[in-house]
Amino acid sequence: MAVIAAHGHGVESHGASHMSPEKRLRVNRVGLWLFFFSESIIFGLLFTSRFFLLGTHQEHVDQFLGLVITIVLLASSVTAYTAETAMEKGNRKLAQWALLGTILLGVVFAVGVGFEWSVAEFGLKLSEEHHQEPQNVVFGTVFFTMTGLHAAHVVSGVGMLVLAFIMLSRGHFSKESHWGISSTIMYWHFVDVVWVFYYPALYLVAG
Amino acid sequence: MYAATTIGGGLGTGLLSFYLGIGVAALLRTMFGYDAWDRDFNATIGYIFGLVGWLMGVGMWGTWGREWFGLKIKDPHANSRKELGWQRYFMFNVDHKVIGIQYLATFLVVFMTAGLMAMIIRLELMGSGQDFISNKTYNTVLGMHGIMMVAVAVAAVVGGLGNYAVPLMIGADDMAFPRMNALSYWLVPPVAVTLLLSPFLGGLETGWTAYPPLSVLTDSAQTFWNVAIITFGLSSILGGLNFVVTVMFMRAPGMTWGRLPMFVWSMFVTAWLALLYTQGFAVALIMVTLDRIAGMGFFDAERGGDPLLYQHVFWFYSHPAVYIMILPGFGIALEVIGHFSRKPLFAYRYAVGAFLGILGLSGVVWAHHMFTAGIPNYLHGPFLVATELISIPTGLIFLSALGTIWMGKLWLRTPMLFALAVIFNFACGGVTGIFLADVPTDIHLQDTYFVVAHFHYTIVGGEIFGLFAGIYYWFPKMTGKMYNEKLAKLHFWWMFIGFNLTFFIMHWPGIEGMNRRIADYPESLQTANLIVSLSAFLLGSSFIVFIYNFINSWVRGPAAEANPWGARTLEWQTSSPPPVENFLTPPVIAGHPYDYGVPGAAPHVTFFPPAVGSPAGGGGGGQ
Amino acid sequence: MSKHLIPAALLWVVLTAIGEATFLLDWLPVVGSPEAEEWDLIFNVLLAMGIPVFTFVVAALVYAFTNFKTSNDGVETGATFKGTGMFPKVWLVATSALVAVAMVIGLVSLSNLQADKSGYGWGEDQAPLVIETTAQRFSWTFSYKDKNVELLSAKDSELLLPIDTEVKFELNSIDVIHSLWIPAFRMKIDAIPGRTTFLTVEPHKLGSFETDENFRVQCAELCGLNHTIMSMHIRVVEQAEFDAWLASKQAKVSR
Repeated sequence: MAVIAAHGHGVESHGASHMSPEKRLRVNRVGLWLFFFSESIIFGLLFTSRFFLLGTHQEHVDQFLGLVITIVLLASSVTAYTAETAMEKGNRKLAQWALLGTILLGVVFAVGVGFEWSVAEFGLKLSEEHHQEPQNVVFGTVFFTMTGLHAAHVVSGVGMLVLAFIMLSRGHFSKESHWGISSTIMYWHFVDVVWVFYYPALYLVAG
Repeated sequence: MYAATTIGGGLGTGLLSFYLGIGVAALLRTMFGYDAWDRDFNATIGYIFGLVGWLMGVGMWGTWGREWFGLKIKDPHANSRKELGWQRYFMFNVDHKVIGIQYLATFLVVFMTAGLMAMIIRLELMGSGQDFISNKTYNTVLGMHGIMMVAVAVAAVVGGLGNYAVPLMIGADDMAFPRMNALSYWLVPPVAVTLLLSPFLGGLETGWTAYPPLSVLTDSAQTFWNVAIITFGLSSILGGLNFVVTVMFMRAPGMTWGRLPMFVWSMFVTAWLALLYTQGFAVALIMVTLDRIAGMGFFDAERGGDPLLYQHVFWFYSHPAVYIMILPGFGIALEVIGHFSRKPLFAYRYAVGAFLGILGLSGVVWAHHMFTAGIPNYLHGPFLVATELISIPTGLIFLSALGTIWMGKLWLRTPMLFALAVIFNFACGGVTGIFLADVPTDIHLQDTYFVVAHFHYTIVGGEIFGLFAGIYYWFPKMTGKMYNEKLAKLHFWWMFIGFNLTFFIMHWPGIEGMNRRIADYPESLQTANLIVSLSAFLLGSSFIVFIYNFINSWVRGPAAEANPWGARTLEWQTSSPPPVENFLTPPVIAGHPYDYGVPGAAPHVTFFPPAVGSPAGGGGGGQ
Repeated sequence: MSKHLIPAALLWVVLTAIGEATFLLDWLPVVGSPEAEEWDLIFNVLLAMGIPVFTFVVAALVYAFTNFKTSNDGVETGATFKGTGMFPKVWLVATSALVAVAMVIGLVSLSNLQADKSGYGWGEDQAPLVIETTAQRFSWTFSYKDKNVELLSAKDSELLLPIDTEVKFELNSIDVIHSLWIPAFRMKIDAIPGRTTFLTVEPHKLGSFETDENFRVQCAELCGLNHTIMSMHIRVVEQAEFDAWLASKQAKVSR
């Protein structure tokens, strides 16, 4: 869904026929911001649900792993930013490398989340033997849902970055016209910002 | 031929992808050590695949998707060519006028279907005792009537009339994102099909509100229903986004915010509501779906979840949703009343302020649906106050409407009759709302037929009457034909009387102890229900007149003039129906849309350079 | 202008009088408890306020409909005032005042509901008679606390309540959300899995389902297939009769 929508803005160039390219770009940008705004409400509702169900209660999570994947994701925002500024200066080579770096960091993050899931000490089933009480289960519910929804956005973002990378390598986009890349990178930053809220809510809140 | 390719292509790729998705799901399940087959899980994955396949198949791939891979695309405007005739309406078309008619036609069909279900419900409730359908069928019919009517209320005016009229009224040649507009529409048919199939997939048990734990525990078509409604929500969000950007950026020169027609204002505010709140329903249903297919425990109290979480998230959307429904109704009513009173719209600024006030307040009233749900006592007071505060902006709508007809020259054509009925009906719906906003009275009335009567008064009486006002008002513009006025007036009076009889009387059994969503009731409620049922049949039969008139006039009606109502607004200053690009020469806005008879007022619109053969000037016949 | 205002105002007065005349009819359902009495009072006050509001709109519409219509195809234009003067401000103040009154009525009655012993919703106070109520699809279990008596809606025909005694229902649900509604007492609260909700009533009228069908417990939240039939009759009896009934029930249990 995110892929369609974000890329939708990315390539909407055949819209109203009498629009100048500058205006088209501005309209696209506002549309994309509104889309983020709208998505942030989905993330926000889950965020609120977490506190509604559990207050600040938190189960044991792997703090080291959490810190590492957070740093990885934040670093990927830096490489994404590099790709965008490189495109603006017309430096295609650097942009390609920066995109590639972003893709790799994104993949590392997604794998990290997958690993976190496999070692999690909380499940979805009550069990005396494994010390699974209701609060473990409900923490598992919000943890898997929140990280899962976020990871789905990361994965779709990686997919879009890969598309942008391929198209860039094939000679598409230019210094003047690279909305496809800009929109993908804006989307990537948005996904990062979401994690900036989710990380403390899931890992740090109980202090 | 084109139409067959579009629909056939969509169905073909959709079905193929659906089975592919089921296969992928089975494979994944096997890989992670589960049974390969779990109906709800596999069907959900299949649905997602199928949906994407359907969209690509109906034409999104050719006109859009290829571009993501750097391939050449087909010109999306090619499908708008007039030579295609009726087939344009069955293709992936980016023209907002075509999309508007697609929406309108689709939702009129949904409306009539859901109306038939209401007739079944009333037939069952005509006498006490189980006399016609089983409890299971009753719940299914009830749930389908509810959700389909909610869908109609959310999308018929916004998607249909909004899409058609808004770009015309602001002097744009299309929406800001025409292809996304088409996407919003093409997301709808799979939703409609899934909903209509649900009786054959296990029925529905939860009504349209889908409260867990019932919606988690029920062995019915719940999961299909969830994913369909989430899809519909996506369509609604994308549509809302499109309207917001369109109204912000696509206005013709001189179309300041202070000169926007009321209908555009109402659509702008509605679009914000759709954009801000629809996620609530989606998130609530995602949680239910995860509880059902992934073993999550959001609503399972034994595992630490809380069923009330759903109600908070759900009503966080579903209360603003009633404003998504009613504001366009108000917008059309004020628009039509403005033109047909031949008098400046009274207190324009206050009416706009009312829309914005409702937008602001709608997000903080949701818990009034939960007064009896065991929420903490300290929440009762604030939500009572916030809810009653909304009466103040709503009162300003009445101020504007009543002030406009006062001392006007009312031209009582059918659109005007419907618009006046909106004001009448909503006055009743608004007053009964006070009883439900007030916690102590609500405790008895909650979940009774009083509530049913109340929300039918507001939504049907307010919005659906507005929808018909809009249909008759823009019918000549959309079809280029004139409807039959006598039949239209017959439809109006028939529907108005049937509606008011049905729902005014329905308050009574509610107070007397008849709860909602039941197939049977104590015998003392027999008389009231019999009267309500007979009135409901009267209401239902009125649509036969409408359907006949609608189809007959479209096919055989006399040609309509460009501006049969002598209205000042932009959409009437171009031909009926308008050319693909809407205006042959770009319009420039010079005055207020409602300045009828004001000495020295500038016409609302002028054209530079004056178009050859364009309808005379911007003043309209009312000057 | 006043040549229109006076007849329109007259129309409003007449319509309002007709509307308020409905108070001559005694059409509200049976009053089984002080809670219901209170409800009827608030309902009637709000209705008395609401009728003139509704008839105001109706009078304006009907008057305009009959007096300002024209049949000349929209050529003629009406007055040109735009509502930019004082009138909208006066309207705003008037409607705000009206809403404020409705709010005060609501808040005062709400504080009555929550302040007294009844403990609606989340109250903690004890009542002389506590009935632990468990809802499940599609039946009710009523257990008289400390009395060792249990009634099942599927098996027993009636729920007995003593007159003039505070009865507190403590609600739980073991599966889905239900709602306990007793129309004769105008009270309702949801039964929610995982929490206990409360509802207190003090029946002050003898009666049963045979005398009035609103003496019944009804599930008011859609709970699935047989939601329709999830109800149980209530009989309000004298304290002595209640005690005797309870004793006979207890005897049965101990045997």
